[in-house]
Amino acid sequence: MNNQPHSAPADTMLLNHPHLPCNAEMLSATRRHFFERCAVGLGSISLATLASRNATADPIQAVNPLQPKPTHHPARATNVIYLFMAGGPSQLDLFEHKPLLTELNGKPIPESYTAGKRFAFMDSSHRNNLLASKRRFRQHGQSGTWLSDLLPHTAGIVDDITVVTTCKTDLFNHAPAKFFMNTGSGLFGRPSMGAWITYGLGSECDDLPGFVVLQSGPRGPRGGAVLWGSGVLPTTYQGVPLRSQGDPIVNLSTPLGITSEQQRQVIDAVTALNRHRLNTTGDPEIATRINAAEMAFRMQSSAPELMDTSGETRETLELYGIQDPQEASFARNCLLARRLVERGVRFVQLYDTNWDHHGGATENLEKHLPEKARDIDQPCAALVRDLQQRGLLENTIVIWGGEFGRTPMGEVRESTGRNHHIDAFTMWFAGGGFHGGQTFGRTDDFGFGAVENPVHVRDIHATLLHQLGINHERLTFRSQGLDFRLTGVLPARVVNEIVS
Amino acid sequence: MKAKQLIFSLLLLTASLPAAEPVSFNRDVRPILSENCFACHGFDPKHREAGLRLDTFDGATANRDGVRGIVPGNPAESAIWERIRSTDPDTVMPPPKSHRNPLTPAQQEILRRWIEEGATYEPHWSFLPPKRNASISPDPQLAQSSPIDIAIERRAKQQGLALSPPAPPETLIRRISLDLTGLPPTVEEVEAFTAASLTDPDGACRELVDRLLLSPHYGERWGRWWLDQARYADSNGYSIDAPRQIWKYRDWVVSALNADMPFDQFTIEQLAGDLLPNATEGQKVATGFHRNTQINQEGGIDREQFRIDSVFDRVGTTGTVWLGLTVGCAQCHDHKFDPIQQREYYQLFAFLNDQDEPTLKVFDPGVNVTELTREFRELEGRLAAWMEQHAAALADWEATLTAETRKSLSAAINNALDVPIEKRGFAQKRTLFAGSIGGVGPFRELNDRYNELDVILNQGTTTLVLQERSTPRTTTVFVNGDFTRPAETVTPGTPSALHPLHKTSARPNRLDLARWIVSPQNPLTARVIVNRVWQQYFGRGIVETENDFGSQGTLPTHPELLDWLAIEFIERGWSLKELHRLILNSRTYRQSSVITKDHIEKDPDNYLLCRQRRLRLDAEIVRDVALAASGLLSNKLGGPPVYPPVPPGSLNVGQVRRVWAESTGQDRYRRGLYTFIYRASPPPSLTVFDAPEGFSSCTRRIRSNTPLQALTLLNDVAFFEFASALEKIIRSQGLEVAFRRCTSRNPQPEELELLRQLDPLTAARTLLNLDETVTRE
Repeated sequence: MNNQPHSAPADTMLLNHPHLPCNAEMLSATRRHFFERCAVGLGSISLATLASRNATADPIQAVNPLQPKPTHHPARATNVIYLFMAGGPSQLDLFEHKPLLTELNGKPIPESYTAGKRFAFMDSSHRNNLLASKRRFRQHGQSGTWLSDLLPHTAGIVDDITVVTTCKTDLFNHAPAKFFMNTGSGLFGRPSMGAWITYGLGSECDDLPGFVVLQSGPRGPRGGAVLWGSGVLPTTYQGVPLRSQGDPIVNLSTPLGITSEQQRQVIDAVTALNRHRLNTTGDPEIATRINAAEMAFRMQSSAPELMDTSGETRETLELYGIQDPQEASFARNCLLARRLVERGVRFVQLYDTNWDHHGGATENLEKHLPEKARDIDQPCAALVRDLQQRGLLENTIVIWGGEFGRTPMGEVRESTGRNHHIDAFTMWFAGGGFHGGQTFGRTDDFGFGAVENPVHVRDIHATLLHQLGINHERLTFRSQGLDFRLTGVLPARVVNEIVS
Repeated sequence: MKAKQLIFSLLLLTASLPAAEPVSFNRDVRPILSENCFACHGFDPKHREAGLRLDTFDGATANRDGVRGIVPGNPAESAIWERIRSTDPDTVMPPPKSHRNPLTPAQQEILRRWIEEGATYEPHWSFLPPKRNASISPDPQLAQSSPIDIAIERRAKQQGLALSPPAPPETLIRRISLDLTGLPPTVEEVEAFTAASLTDPDGACRELVDRLLLSPHYGERWGRWWLDQARYADSNGYSIDAPRQIWKYRDWVVSALNADMPFDQFTIEQLAGDLLPNATEGQKVATGFHRNTQINQEGGIDREQFRIDSVFDRVGTTGTVWLGLTVGCAQCHDHKFDPIQQREYYQLFAFLNDQDEPTLKVFDPGVNVTELTREFRELEGRLAAWMEQHAAALADWEATLTAETRKSLSAAINNALDVPIEKRGFAQKRTLFAGSIGGVGPFRELNDRYNELDVILNQGTTTLVLQERSTPRTTTVFVNGDFTRPAETVTPGTPSALHPLHKTSARPNRLDLARWIVSPQNPLTARVIVNRVWQQYFGRGIVETENDFGSQGTLPTHPELLDWLAIEFIERGWSLKELHRLILNSRTYRQSSVITKDHIEKDPDNYLLCRQRRLRLDAEIVRDVALAASGLLSNKLGGPPVYPPVPPGSLNVGQVRRVWAESTGQDRYRRGLYTFIYRASPPPSLTVFDAPEGFSSCTRRIRSNTPLQALTLLNDVAFFEFASALEKIIRSQGLEVAFRRCTSRNPQPEELELLRQLDPLTAARTLLNLDETVTRE
């Protein structure tokens, strides 16, 4: 799985190359094909016949960079749904029950915790006083997993998820921290996790991209398209955003006034002429382009089909808490995530923005955190349930988390909030071999740092790849004289304690 | 890549290394050691295992408790020979935990012979100065043969291959036009060229190359090549990604290339133009090269952290762009493969740490800034004096004001009135005089002129530049590259493994660094640049790893050719246009790109260059070709970036919703070079064709081939607009003309027959979607 040359191997060219012994025969076959398909086919081929057309043997084989690839070791999971809570959700108001924090509310945190630490907003509104959570905490399920009253639906799936309370990252500003979580580096322009995984495993889906991104919340995530970029990897592997308004994929719709018949004609004519050029030049890139155009055409029908949830039952919609199936929401995105995985899409990432609860007028713990929690709690739980009911959870890893967590110390602006915190925060994992009903790692009395089993972002990456059958040290891409990899050069370990 | 490299070196070996020929350290041995051994037994002492280093003769032959890694002349007594052949997982090298495969028998054999022959080390090839190799000098008898062709043909012949025949004239003119200007030839140009080629194909090509090198579009095409490396874009990056003004730098690059500014000067002005004596405005604008770093405007950040990040970027970019070295690797530790210590990294850092980052006001040509500034200052003095003299009159006027009369005065005047007299600034005083007793007469005259000059001098276009600080910052090593962990203090300096730095003062500055980079003693820069130019023409450099000429990079496929080009480049006054001429006038460049059975069998990846290569056009040029073919292209050069149509909503991917005021008139149809690029949300039709976003230096674009490209060509609003224009051409001038505008060749009868069955719009869309239209063949 080292850096593969992206030109076609010679054998694919032999099939259609004019200079080979079979030259004359091939050429005439192609020419016949050329006229049959074009002269006769034009105008008569409709969308409905697409499937049968594709079933016929095609004389041209192109290299598909997304074709499924073998794993390093047997995989426990084949797909990933990553629920990214952009902004940094407060683990201390959602997962971490800390009675001492409540007891010492308003008192300064002992200096031993903060000595030598750096925080965002150090100069301005950072305060050293502890802030108790206003939430009520309770244990749930057979596992007795602690959750706050903001996650009543999540309470119903605790026995199917692993809660890791000791996640740790290196960077405390939003955009760099998001890059770090997604790419293993705080720098712009490194390949994202979804790109790495699609590069490593290929895609099982031939009419949708291998890596799809869905967004909800009042704005896009900080860092933008870089978060799902392919960096040094070919753009084939970059995430494709599916949009809730307008075309689900940029430029998906046929231009206004163009019939699907005319669109098909363009594809057929381009294919025929490209095929002709392929025979003249012998350049396998043309074969790849022919295939790409066919997939583009298939996407024109498969993506709208994907987005059309009218076939979903009332029970399913209710499970996710979807009121209006047309309305864009995190809940709808969760449902779409399931539909994508059903169709073989390798990596689905959902971004939900506005989890940055510093305590300002529009971002406080009293009002806005509960609103965000309400937006996501039911759909997240529904997604895990739904995948489970359909037998998809076994092979699908569901990840929940943000780019970092929030401080035990309060920030008092117009109302109360918490600052960015990188030493310990909570994420949860379900499916794909992750244990159910486990809480892993232990933090100190204030939830400031790990006292047991810290799990660094790199460890999360290594573990995730491991479950997908990839050795994180072997998934590499050579660029600038270096073997790039998701986990970088610093130590990373597979957290065997939370997976099987 | 590893496999390819191996195949290639084996291929060379079997052909050119008979058993009697000695093993070459750089060609045969170093790649094996670098790939398999240096990570743990190399330059970086912190990660050196068992105290053994294999990157130097002394290290490899040192006696460590009776064990010697290499005993020259005696493989049997050399520890490495035993270890690489071991089958015991505990002793075999490289060890299984490195995930490297055991050495192949062929690799083992090379090492054995090398040890037997005395284990001679050589400095890494790229650190040795380029030298002329007589074997590729042209035979005076054959007027037309160029060292390029001699070098390529000789290697090809060893593999039983020969150069392909020349491409047909219509392919050639399209190739040369796209390569030099990024625009296709017109139908008339193709006809004239084809006719001229009938009698004198070589002359026709030479004339074409000469003509196109004088085209202003040459600078646009090659400007983009350089802007990729300069990581140019029009916004600040990170999460806020606000727009910035730095297009004057882009225009500077384009005109410098059009003027064929010698590359050494081109380098010096960009790295240190502000430090040149009597620096011109252009020389200051040029320092925008290193202002193309991102600026984090997020709340709550430590500005120093991100300033240092931008200096890291500058050090890394300088290393990549000019030295072809992965200098950035030494940010956190000594380089594992190349001789760059972490300390030396911070000495380079020190050169780039002593600047302020101001915004420079840029004037239209024709504005005499010195004269106007003098006049402005003088006016300032005269106005101050006048106001001083008439202070009492103003006070009298003020005394007449009532709350009622003040209502009729402007807000600016009222604001100024509210300021106590002794605290009023120059501007406030002017406002008051202009609105009262100075409204007519000499004050009015002076003041109007003052305002006029203020607009010319102090408002309008700006650009980002570097400016040396009067007091340098203290630079230290940062432990693990972490700016919160400063260690020893360092002063500016260059890596000791390279040529010496010529200092002009006790503390060398950026200008010294720039001159060091383009010193003729520098073995790297000329090679790196000619290689990157070559890469544009053949899709791959003579050194495939165009940004790594260090020991982890690939070896040159034609080392003597690379050296010849580098030497010629310097001797021809660092002229890029001369370099283009050398390459474009070679038979190697002009070959057909058709792939034959022989090629597939003997050189499927075209390392031997026995054919040209079909290359999908760069993103901007995909647009430019469609614009040109549909007759919409605006030929306007330079100026502020423009906002052509983009798919609705496609820019709202980041934190900030973007305003995209769609351009009208000819700005709608400008070349892709001029499209405004937001780093965090660049226009989809460019990124989908692999245009870089300007996050970091891009020295080679990837060429992907994806369904999203097909969707763009089919459905994008801009491309549909082009298709509609091409439809009109089909209706007025016929299909054949439209076909030729897209591909530069005549359609074949069956192609035309097929297109005739389509309605004109469908035919136009088909033509713009052809692989051939977006490919240079």
